[in-house]
Amino acid sequence: MWSFSGIANNIHTWLGEHFNATWTMIIEMVIAGVAVIGLFALLGLVLVIMERKVSAWMQIRLGPNRVGPKGIFQSLADTLKLLVKEGMTPDGADKLLFNVAPFIAMIVAMLLLAPIAFASNFQLWDLNIGVLYVSAVSSIMVISILMAGWASNNKYSLMGAMRSGAQIVSYELSAGLSVLAVVVMCGSLQMSEIIESQRNGWWIFKGHIPMLIAFITFIIAVTAETNRAPFDLAEAESELTAGFHTEYSGMKFALFFLAEYVNVFIVCAIGATLFLGGWMPLHIGNWEGFNHAMDYIPSSLWFFGKTFFLIFVIMWFRWTFPRLRIDQLLNLEWKYLLPISMINLLVVTAMAILGWHF
Amino acid sequence: MNGSDIIFYLLAAMTLVCGLLSVTTRQIFRAAIYLLFALIGVAGIYFWMEYEFIAAVQIVVYVGGIVVLIIFSIFLTQQAGEKMPRQRLDRKIFAALAVFCGFALTMVQVYKQVYYTSDAPAQTATVANIGKKMLNVNEEGYALPFEVISMLLLAAMVGCIVIAMRQKPDEQTAQPTEKTN
Amino acid sequence: MFVIKYIKEVWTAVRSLLKGMKRTLYYFTHHKEIITQQYPDNRDTLVLPERFKGEVVMPHDENNEHRCTGCQACELACPNGTIKVIFKNDLTPEGKKKKAIDKLVYHLELCTMCNLCIEACPSDAIKMAQTFEHSVFDRNQLTKILNKPGSKIMEGVE
Repeated sequence: MWSFSGIANNIHTWLGEHFNATWTMIIEMVIAGVAVIGLFALLGLVLVIMERKVSAWMQIRLGPNRVGPKGIFQSLADTLKLLVKEGMTPDGADKLLFNVAPFIAMIVAMLLLAPIAFASNFQLWDLNIGVLYVSAVSSIMVISILMAGWASNNKYSLMGAMRSGAQIVSYELSAGLSVLAVVVMCGSLQMSEIIESQRNGWWIFKGHIPMLIAFITFIIAVTAETNRAPFDLAEAESELTAGFHTEYSGMKFALFFLAEYVNVFIVCAIGATLFLGGWMPLHIGNWEGFNHAMDYIPSSLWFFGKTFFLIFVIMWFRWTFPRLRIDQLLNLEWKYLLPISMINLLVVTAMAILGWHF
Repeated sequence: MNGSDIIFYLLAAMTLVCGLLSVTTRQIFRAAIYLLFALIGVAGIYFWMEYEFIAAVQIVVYVGGIVVLIIFSIFLTQQAGEKMPRQRLDRKIFAALAVFCGFALTMVQVYKQVYYTSDAPAQTATVANIGKKMLNVNEEGYALPFEVISMLLLAAMVGCIVIAMRQKPDEQTAQPTEKTN
Repeated sequence: MFVIKYIKEVWTAVRSLLKGMKRTLYYFTHHKEIITQQYPDNRDTLVLPERFKGEVVMPHDENNEHRCTGCQACELACPNGTIKVIFKNDLTPEGKKKKAIDKLVYHLELCTMCNLCIEACPSDAIKMAQTFEHSVFDRNQLTKILNKPGSKIMEGVE
């Protein structure tokens, strides 16, 4: 049976036979880079059409249905349109920062893909601070938004950027605390060890109620961190035109757009890895037969299935709830999510020490 | 010169150039962004040395925290995009002199320092090891400095709350029930 | 007290959010609820709601007779001067002169489909039709004469 790790190993051995070590490494880096860019493009296309279809069905509409069968090529047509459009730079803008900002958004999204395990033994960089790395690098994301907002020299952009900055900085706390709940349970920050610790059951089942609370706070916090509705104050159309990307057009706008969707994918992948076992199939304790049957489904399918389920949940939030006001947003974080996740972390620590989990 | 060296020199050049630009640019927001890249370069050097934990903490604290704070204060105080006035020549000279003195002092210290080679087995910088060291009360542990630093943070936090809660004298009587809800 | 109130608040919030999510999930999974009309495609089978108002028409029976007495109630009722009644003198069979409508001019381009004229009409001479494809290249075509040429008033309508 084919698997991602098998393909990767075959490529590695083939390169090892034909080139020396340095060239093998360089070629592998190039392949990884191309694969990441390809994944980005694919994710952009898939997630945009998925979002449009999900939103349509939730609002009792049909959604795009003209381009291709059932409209599945709609996002391809949109991309083509964005590619041929003129990317304008406003006259009063800080031209350097204005043009650099979308690339920073993109580079950060690329860096975040490094520690994600897409399948068993298929990971770009299994570094020993995996989770911390993700939360560290994702905090650079806010810089690109602030840069874009400032460099546009537009009051709407600036307002959007400031809102989004306040929002990302404050929701990072509760996202970090709910991630810590899992880290406390399995005692490691490394992605591969976190996944391995869920061999006899996913943390959301093994950690029962406190883990469920951590999962819910995580989902809410990452929805806010990726600036999606109901927390999309940064680009609130009705108040701020489009927020920090008001002045962007063409490919530079597309990069922001793509970065948003890739970030959604990344946070959902992290959520799936921490709480739902990553590529680990559904295992229940010591039921050998059941566990064995589940292992027949390829690990990459498990990973993408869980990730896309979480993406669906986040889209579900977006198309159900109305947008929050800025004071409600900050109330939710500082008065509800943060105290709840702090107490929850204490409970989880007690559970981990006393062994009250399965 | 192998690949590792090239990466080091690239990171070092990025850090130095961005640091230089951040003090010479006349647009304050750009200065903050150059500072950001300089700090990212330092984090990159930590990654290059395989001290991932310190690198991540560098990014969390400096990039995600301090630079964002600086940018926010620029947003809230400065005029958009206006260039700062050119500095006077004597100030420039004294600043350069001060920088040179600091640099010279550091270099003298570095060259005077005698480095001993240790026979002790090298410790890997995993998170578990760092955590154990940090909370160890024995001779090799750093529990005391750790706690002292947390006291400092606590003091800073109390200070923040005091500043945020300070009310005008007439408001204190007008809204006494504010704290209860 | 405070803690109980806090927990109650969180609980009601979560419950009401879940309620909303349940509704959208229902719509997501039940595609037959979709209300979108794929208009140009389903032109032949299009069913308009009963109260949809497209334009004012005057029904005529098979003898080319309408029910309009020319009382001008519609003209007075119209808030923006859409309807103009132009009179002529008709001769009754007894040889008497009788006032009757010559043309009932209707400016579709001014009409807001407010239905006030239909409600004002004492003899139910005009009604709202459900046609809606009104686009033309010349706006003169939007000025319509509602009574057909050569039509006359129906027997017994005063």
